[in-house]
Amino acid sequence: MARKTVFIDFSKCIECRACEVACEREHNGMSFISVFEWQEMAAMALNCRHCEKAPCVEVCPTNALYRDKDGAVLLAPQKCIGCLMCGIVCPFGIPELDLINKIMGKCDLCAHRRAEGKLPACVETCPTDALLYGEFNEIIRKRREKFTEKTIELAKTGENIQLTGV
Amino acid sequence: MSERLVPVVCPYCGVGCRLYIRSVDGYPVGIEYAKDIPNISNELGKLCPKGNAVVEYLLAKDRLKKPLKAKEQGKFVEISWSEAIKEIAERLKAYAKDDPNQLMFFGSARTFNEPNYLIQKLARMLGTNNVDHCARLCHAPTVTGLKAVFGAGAMTNTYKDIEEANVIFIIGHNYAETHPVGFRYVLKAKERGAKVIVADPRFTRTAWFADIYLQHYPGSDIALINGLIHVIIKEKLYDERFVRERCVGFDEVVSAVEKFTPEFVEKVTGVPAELIVEAARTFATAGKGVITWAMGLTQHTHGTDNVRLLGTLSAICGYQGKEGAGCAPMRGQNNVQGACDMAALPNVFPGYQAVTDPEKRKFFEEFWGVELSGEVGLTTVEAAYAADKGKVKAYYVMGENPVISEANANHVMHTLERLEFMVVQDIVPTPTMEFADIVLPAAAMLENEGSITNTERRVQWSFQAAKPPGEARPDWWIISEVGKAIGFDKTGSGGFVYNDAADVLREINACTPQYRGITPERLKENLAGLHWPCPSPDHPGTRVLYKEKFLTPDGKAHLAAVPEYRGPVEMPDEEYPFLLTTHRYVGMYHTATMTMRSEALKKRWSEPLAEIHPEDAEKLGIKSGDWIKIETRRGAYPIKAKVTRAVKKGVIAVPWHWGANVLTNDALDPVAKIPETKACACKVVKITEEDAKRLMEKLPPVIPKIEVVRG
Repeated sequence: MARKTVFIDFSKCIECRACEVACEREHNGMSFISVFEWQEMAAMALNCRHCEKAPCVEVCPTNALYRDKDGAVLLAPQKCIGCLMCGIVCPFGIPELDLINKIMGKCDLCAHRRAEGKLPACVETCPTDALLYGEFNEIIRKRREKFTEKTIELAKTGENIQLTGV
Repeated sequence: MSERLVPVVCPYCGVGCRLYIRSVDGYPVGIEYAKDIPNISNELGKLCPKGNAVVEYLLAKDRLKKPLKAKEQGKFVEISWSEAIKEIAERLKAYAKDDPNQLMFFGSARTFNEPNYLIQKLARMLGTNNVDHCARLCHAPTVTGLKAVFGAGAMTNTYKDIEEANVIFIIGHNYAETHPVGFRYVLKAKERGAKVIVADPRFTRTAWFADIYLQHYPGSDIALINGLIHVIIKEKLYDERFVRERCVGFDEVVSAVEKFTPEFVEKVTGVPAELIVEAARTFATAGKGVITWAMGLTQHTHGTDNVRLLGTLSAICGYQGKEGAGCAPMRGQNNVQGACDMAALPNVFPGYQAVTDPEKRKFFEEFWGVELSGEVGLTTVEAAYAADKGKVKAYYVMGENPVISEANANHVMHTLERLEFMVVQDIVPTPTMEFADIVLPAAAMLENEGSITNTERRVQWSFQAAKPPGEARPDWWIISEVGKAIGFDKTGSGGFVYNDAADVLREINACTPQYRGITPERLKENLAGLHWPCPSPDHPGTRVLYKEKFLTPDGKAHLAAVPEYRGPVEMPDEEYPFLLTTHRYVGMYHTATMTMRSEALKKRWSEPLAEIHPEDAEKLGIKSGDWIKIETRRGAYPIKAKVTRAVKKGVIAVPWHWGANVLTNDALDPVAKIPETKACACKVVKITEEDAKRLMEKLPPVIPKIEVVRG
């Protein structure tokens, strides 16, 4: 099965940070997605990519980091020793240290919600559909389809089409 | 243990999103998105950050749990409900016997329709029309302005129409931040190919998505809109047939906009002439267009004229009475529309029936069984000045926080100190409570049930999801108890005897033409709610207004001609060289009483920042993060600076949730009586942190500590 994760279409992000608040609610006061303001106005959400070749999983000395059946990288808290290796090797700086329990915390793609057949909370709440849950190639294919449809439509109405960036 | 999912309406902004509260034995433990309810205003159950954090404020540690009585200012003793109700009833009765106009009642746009109906009923049965609510401070010009043009003051269309439009003109309104879920429909339209025009003095997150962005000076809206109309008329882009058949007053408009050439408008507003021409062409030729606005447009001394001009702009383009078009005022609080419909307003009975109309008055005199006053009552700002003169002596404030929300807050506080008697009914301590004689603990919206009307006239039923804390009671219960104690204890419409909120709604059905078919049974069954007008129990509700005719006496749209340009009453001068404007944050809500009690929101939007242009900042030697003092003719306010190009040179933008209204101007719009909160002159100086702390102590605290003493 193709591995699904959360992607962001940052042309739609309004930096409302609903995803952060939703994640925080689902994960006992810790948010594993962060929205950054970029060049004063544009915004971008950064979250765990659940990498294909995940360095965090590779380096974990206790095998506390593992993949579940959907391919999400999860953390088994009872195995975590808080050595911070995963945080250091992660190119996105995703795993965070839970200062009270001295173990790491990271995005689990809302495992408890997926078990009930629901989407991760951040995706479910995003008011502008900037966050997408899916398989990367599937999302790209859909975008391509949409773009083609639009082009055909525009061609039908006879408007002057400018295909920039193609 | 019994876990339930209770469908409620979000207690925050006017979009009226549905969600489920996960409740275990009456305790709220979480939320779930309402993905399975079709046709609700938040498609697929989407929620903004505030909606995601709704449970947190319910669990605030400082929720009011018992009625309190003041020993001295700010110090209270606990009393029982019966004592509190008895004292309130006696005091109100005494003032009413003397002269009912000594009383002033505040309804609330943050609670259900039912308590708003009851509070105005109470005021009117006591013999006064002095009842108002915070719509006066946000959308009063929308009501008066749209009424003048179209005959009624509500949104003419729905969110669905925004999605279907080909052009969306957003003015004086940071749509993406104030109503993120509503903005979803703008983005969906844009994805379909619609054009977005944004006019705002700040380069907001909404402006980021604009195809055409017009950055005008605060308060120069009349010139800007007249300029657009000028171009549309000059280039004959208007809908000739629509104007001929359904509008009157077009010739006056033609002559009124004569002098508003793009060049003139450029001088006044600071928007390049060619952009004005482009915006006008884009708007008029799109075929289907929606205009949305909010406080940036209305909070001016010429707010009513602004709205009338927008109505005119929409009408001459033929964007009325059809799907995918219309005028969409965006309400800030969850039930502004409902509180207006229920007539928590000084000039109308429920359903916008004028108190001055003898026929309507006669109906309500028979309905309530008392003699009613035909004299238009006082608005909030007028009441503050009347109280200053000693004419108004008692306030009954339900779910309002005038100390933070009213313009020129220093004057308001001075007024509240002078009052002889004040009742404040709320869910948490507010700075207004400092001045109260009696404090009543109310149940929060999610802790009781009732109907609520969102921006798009959609009436929805919200169910009880949690138990109120301590002895807190629903608003409708409190007011009906006060009513009964005063002596209005008959059953039926002549008294205040009700079993539940549904009982009150049945009474509303009987006296409000628009709500006649919106019965509690229908609302409880149909979670998506009904759009008013809904004149009979088998009527499906109305999505688009004015399909055949407008609600003006002759059925035509009365186009507005505003030939004179007026800016803000207080323009920058040598002493006060900057123009101050206020705005809001996406994660904060109004006077922050609810949002500042939510950890998730408080940590993300922890403090206000004053936006200032880099060139101005350099001249004053200010860097981002420095403390500055903003001073106007009415007060001073310390705040940290944020240097950004989002504002125009000469403009300072401040979020108002934390009490910046000590600065703002309370000059009134003559028709709508709204104060000019959005623009005034100010000066800015850099100060040290110690100075800032000292200044801060003089301001009302956003989260006050209510001191409860013994005995």
